[in-house]
Amino acid sequence: RRNMRRTAPRSTLRKIIKNHKPQLRLAADVDLLVRKERDGCRVHLNFLLFLHRLAEEARTNAFENKSKIIKPEHAVAAAKVIKHFKY
Amino acid sequence: PLQPLRAKPVPKSSGASRRKTCEPEVPSSLIKKIFSHYVKMPVSRDAFKIVEKCSKRYFKQLSDDLEAYTNHAGRKTVEMADLEVLMRRQKLVTEKMPMHVLIERYLPLEYRKLLIPIAISGNKVIPCK
Repeated sequence: RRNMRRTAPRSTLRKIIKNHKPQLRLAADVDLLVRKERDGCRVHLNFLLFLHRLAEEARTNAFENKSKIIKPEHAVAAAKVIKHFKY
Repeated sequence: PLQPLRAKPVPKSSGASRRKTCEPEVPSSLIKKIFSHYVKMPVSRDAFKIVEKCSKRYFKQLSDDLEAYTNHAGRKTVEMADLEVLMRRQKLVTEKMPMHVLIERYLPLEYRKLLIPIAISGNKVIPCK
């Protein structure tokens, strides 16, 4: 648990967004490789934070139900709460 | 001579097309790892499936938002500023929690180096502007 994989699946993130919005470009010019990478990790950062929030909510729900493990209903409830923040 | 030709391509093409149409997504093993890292509790298998579904939806929403922001700014390219505005609206970035603190906290060192200028000896700043 301590050594979580920290690298971002950059090209996958790009592909996902490309899949949803083919006409949208993530800041990328061939010469600005750093730029390209930057945005890749920003999206990744956002995704990490999203998962973090989801995890916290799910955990709270599980505690409230006195459950020792996260069950699907906890995750669903957590997702609904986060949707409230627009996700 | 016609019959063998007709019979052949049917099973092959169906398999190949299915492979292609499956959409890109973050590997479920990675989602699992990140989620269980944050949640610090046992998670049932079905709950992971829910999390995966949520991530999918999250990405859809994310691309919608990014599109809206960039269109609003009259651009076609997503830039850093758009992401920052988005995260401000998500209440992830606030006055008390600036962007670079989040970056420092959540991203590994190699990425941090790319994102935050660091002053090094000799009065140089990396990355230079």
